[in-house]
This record gives sequence, structure tokens and C-alpha cells, in this order.
Amino acid sequence: MTLYEFEGKELLNKYGITVPRFEILDSAEAVPSVSPPFFLKVQVLSGKRAASGGIVEVKNKKDFFSATKTIRSKKFNGETPQKIIAEEKISFTREHYLSVYYDTARRSPALLYTIDGGSGVEKRKIEKYSLRAEDGEMGNIPLPRPLIDKLLSLFFSEDCVLLEINPLVESEKNGKKIWMALDAKIKLDSTASGRHDWNYPPRSSGHAPTLREIEAKKIDDGDYRGTAGSSFFDMEGDIGILASGGGASLMALDALIKKKGKPANYTEYSGNPSKEKVEKLTKIVLSKPGLSGLWVIGGVANFTDIYETLSGLVDGLKKARQELSLTIDYPIVIRRGGPRDEEAFAMLAEVKDFDFHIYGRETSISKSAEEMVRLSNIYKKIKKSGVKSR
Amino acid sequence: MGLLLPKNAKLIAQGITGSEGRVALPWMQKYGTKIVAGVTPGKGGQELSGVPVFDTVEKAVEKVGQVDGSVLFVPPMQVKKAVEEAIRAGIRFILIGAEKVPVADASAMYELALKKGANIIGPSSVGLISPSRKIKIGSIGGPNPDQVYKEGEIAVISKSGGMTSEIALHLGQHGFGISWAVGIGGERIICADFADFLLELEKDFTTKASVIFGELGGTYEERVAHLVREKKIKKPVVAFIAGEFTETLPSNIQFGHAGAIIEGRSSRPSAKRKILAQSGITVADDFDEIAELVKKVIV
Repeated sequence: MTLYEFEGKELLNKYGITVPRFEILDSAEAVPSVSPPFFLKVQVLSGKRAASGGIVEVKNKKDFFSATKTIRSKKFNGETPQKIIAEEKISFTREHYLSVYYDTARRSPALLYTIDGGSGVEKRKIEKYSLRAEDGEMGNIPLPRPLIDKLLSLFFSEDCVLLEINPLVESEKNGKKIWMALDAKIKLDSTASGRHDWNYPPRSSGHAPTLREIEAKKIDDGDYRGTAGSSFFDMEGDIGILASGGGASLMALDALIKKKGKPANYTEYSGNPSKEKVEKLTKIVLSKPGLSGLWVIGGVANFTDIYETLSGLVDGLKKARQELSLTIDYPIVIRRGGPRDEEAFAMLAEVKDFDFHIYGRETSISKSAEEMVRLSNIYKKIKKSGVKSR
Repeated sequence: MGLLLPKNAKLIAQGITGSEGRVALPWMQKYGTKIVAGVTPGKGGQELSGVPVFDTVEKAVEKVGQVDGSVLFVPPMQVKKAVEEAIRAGIRFILIGAEKVPVADASAMYELALKKGANIIGPSSVGLISPSRKIKIGSIGGPNPDQVYKEGEIAVISKSGGMTSEIALHLGQHGFGISWAVGIGGERIICADFADFLLELEKDFTTKASVIFGELGGTYEERVAHLVREKKIKKPVVAFIAGEFTETLPSNIQFGHAGAIIEGRSSRPSAKRKILAQSGITVADDFDEIAELVKKVIV
């Protein structure tokens, strides 16, 4: 989970790393108590905020109102800022860049640093230091050890997967030199949430989450066995996706798009989730208006109980009809295999009130994608002619 | 001992009394895997499918003698402790099934494995299987692995557990059998990666070629490309990389596996496909053509 700048700065503060004084303005009417000059900074999750006008300097009180008005009317990478912070202006000489993250190339935590930070840093040379003890590179980092220690303490104690400070500056406070973090990008490892009392509201990186995305992410709450909907993303197409497995779901969507199908969403369930979890996810997928097909797609499962999960699908379909008053007359293509698949297919054969097209392991995922696209095109054609004849 | 266990390897199973372990244990036994003891703290003295359960790994090893490895059915937050316990007891092969193990724990376990010369597969590994050796560790292949995993000469290494079996099924439908198949997990930090397996498979006389299944995120595919270029991996490799559609969506979204996230250019599927192809690896465009490509590379 990515934190907003102000949440990141609160964490930095907790671990003794100095940040500029700031105030959160959460409504258009809020007026900061700090006196100008200060910066207004929109709180959004996407990067390159400064380049798109998300950071504005307010030089006098008069400027403040026009500045907030402009900044609040903008969208940043599709995201409308809910919060803005007013932050004191800090004087400094150089902008450094520092980040701590998990480096998959070494399979260990690493630190990136350059004295030449600020915007555009990704185009400049950055040094990488391994944080694995026996690599012995820690001592080479050209920054004061107490500062590094505080940052690493925050990174590990809070289960971060990314801690990025750009810029990190050297400033003066009461005649003393002091390191300050002027920005903060922190990503927490959600799998570690069980050992923290994080209380951050739901969010999606890079775009404003849709209602369906928020609802889908709630399914796994408080039940670690199996997962359903923790990855959910609304897309622009008309074929609802209920995929199983992290890898199969990716491969399946690539295949569907290659066959000229347009997915309405991305999502997956895996790890033998309960029937109830699949039922909830089914309802969320179906709630998207304008569907012309549902593709229930997965490989030959190793552990997931196919009878349980496909029973969840049927329950979800029935409840979506009752509770959400959906017609669900479009083709539903199912391709799946794995434990108890024969029982599952026998159970599905008894369900007569949906347009099921059931395939097992003899039909490949790509072939089933082709079938899904073909059937949904026929459905769309019939619908269209039906409207005309009326 | 490496990642490829010998025939008749003896294993213990940690967390065996849990819901997943209970189900997977008889599946493994039926296949021929020798599970000689189970470990669950507080459940010592019980017996499960003829396997004695002990409170600690130390007690188990004391009773049944040194073993070739341990398979973990422990819940995610307890995995690190269980791995440390196994390594303390002298075990040098560990397979972790749990998903959602914190990244910090995975990284610490990898560091420990390096230090102690241990081999860890996972977290989030569906298992390891070798039909000719009658070894099946973890839930790979479910209750009837023979339906999918036929004995043969092709190795499958996959970030995705489901796709491990799907590839074996596809190969089987085209007359190819499996020498080894393993799910290495789709996490941000995994212990044994594609290259670790491919390096060991170089010395495995049953394996003629390998199929790897990669996806967006991380640099594990890149390492394979480097080692092929350096001629450390010489046996043919056919690669399939999933998730190209994600490149048209905003970055920083996680797709399924915890490691499936685009952070930087090199973690994109298209970049992976390119670097693999450039180093001479055969990259499949369509999943259904994998077997055909395998046929080409082994002649």
C-alpha cells in the first residue's frame, strides 16, 4: 500500500527524521496558520506531481485563495486530490536522493543514493548499496550513520517495501546543520499488516479506485485462507472476468485481448478460497453494467477445490439476479480443472437457468478465450437486432 | 544436497496438522514421497496418516534421524520462525507453500539460506515434483498428479503454481513428459529463482530442455538471460512471459502475485521477452505453441 506524502512524513517524524512543518487542509475553506511564504502540495499517489502543477508556492496571503482554487480544480493522473498540505519553505543548497527498497536482483534490501537528486533523478546515475550484512557495503554510503540508522529502523520496523526521499536536503535550524526530508514516498508491505495496527483508508495507486475495486479488496479482510479480489481493476470492455490464479489470470487476459475480446475487469481468486469469497467476488464482477459475457477461467488447479469455488460462482450468479435484479442472459464460458472438477461439472450441469458453456482441461485457455469472444459477439448481434425490431 | 532431491529422499512436514497439510499429506504419500515425521508445536504425540507428529523439528530429527528436507504448511506469519527452526536442526532443503509471507521475512530467510548453504524454495511455492523419482513435495498436481505430470525429459519452472500444472498438461497433450516441475512463487523476494534451478538442471541427466513461465515484475527472468549469455546455462530454454496487457494500464498496480507489479522499465513483460530473446532463449508468443517450440529446441 502506497502512503500519501503526509502519512509518510508522519512516519519519518516518528522515527526522528526531521521534516518541514506542515498542516493538512482537507477542505476548500481551510486556511493554514503558517504565514507565507509556504508551499501548497496536493496529496496524490502518482509521481511527477510538481511537473503537473501540484506544488505551488504561496508568497503572500492574497495568493493563497486563488492558488488553492486552481490546485483543487485539477486532476493528477486521474486522481482528484482530497487533501492538500501547506508546508513551510526550507532553504537548502543541494537536493540529494535516497531510497531503500528490496532489490530482486540481489534478493535483499538495498539503498540507492545520489547527491544529485531532485526532479529528473531517474535519468541520472544513482549508486546502489546492498544492505545485506555480509556484502559489507553499508559503510560506503556517504551519509551520516545516525541518519541512515533512523531511516533503516523505519524501513524495517514498519515493514516498508519502499522508502523514497527526494529531495533529502541539508538545512540549518537554530544555527545547526540538519538533514531534512522534503518529500516522502513510502510503500508498506500489506502482507505484513497482521503485525501492525495500520489504520490507513483504502486507496489505489495511480488512479482513483472505483467502488467495485474498493468492495473487492474488502473480501479478504480477516480471513487469510485463499484470496479473492485483492487484485481488482476495472477496465473498459464488456466481458466480465472471474479468473483463478495469479499467473493464469495474466496469461488469460493476454489471450482474450489477442482474440479481440475486451475485458471489463481484471481480477483473480486463488489459494483455495471459501465458497463465500467467490460468491462475493462474482457479484462484484457482475455488477458492472453492459456485460456481454462472463469468462470463468483458470488452469488445472493443484489445491483449489473446484467444486467449492464453482458452487460459489453459482451462488453469486443467483444472488446477483435476486439482489441486484440483473438479467444475466449473456454467455458464461467456464474453463477449469483440478480437485473435484468432475463433481463440479456435474453440479453445473444441473443449473439450467444460465447460458453455461463448460470446458475442462481438454480445451486450452487460449481456445476458450476464442470461444468466449465468439459467443459474446453473437450475443451482442442478437441484442442489437432485438433493439431494432422493437 | 541441492534443489533436486534424490530418489527416496526423506522429508519432514512442518505445520502438518493444519487444514492444508492434512489434505496434502496423503496426496504426497500416495505418490511415493517419504514423509517420515510431522511437526506442529503443541501437537506432539499425535499421528497423522501413519506419520508421527512432534512438537519441534529438533525432537523429530532426534527420533527419525537426519532428513533430506522439510516441507512447510505453516501459516504465513509463522513461516520465518519455522524455517529458522529447521535450519537450526541441520535441515538444508526447505519448501515453503504459504502465500502472503512478508517481504522482510522472505529476504531474511534468503540471507540465512546463503549463510548456511541451505536451499529454500518459495515462499508461495506450489511444490516440486519429479515423476521418475516418485517425489512430490507440496500440493503440486493435487490428488491425481499422474493426470498432468507424465514421466519425461522436460523441466518446468514457473512463478505461478497453477501454470506449472497447465504447462505440464499442455506438454503432455503433445507427447512430452516432465523430469522436474516446480513453482518458485510469484513473490517480490523468492529464495530459489529460475536460474538457480536451471543451473542445477544442467547436471541433471534426465532433463533435455526447460520451460519457464514468467510474468511482470522483478528481475528473475533477466538473470536467466545473463547466465545463458555467459554460457552457464547451456540446455535449451523456452520462455513464456504473461501480462503484456498490463503495460497499457497505470503502473504500480499489483496483479495477482505480490511480485507482479511494474516498477521501472525492465519489469515489463515486453522488456523481459526482449532480453530473453536477445540472449538466444526461445520465447513463445502464444501459450499453445510452447510444445511445438520445445520440439524444435531439443532436436
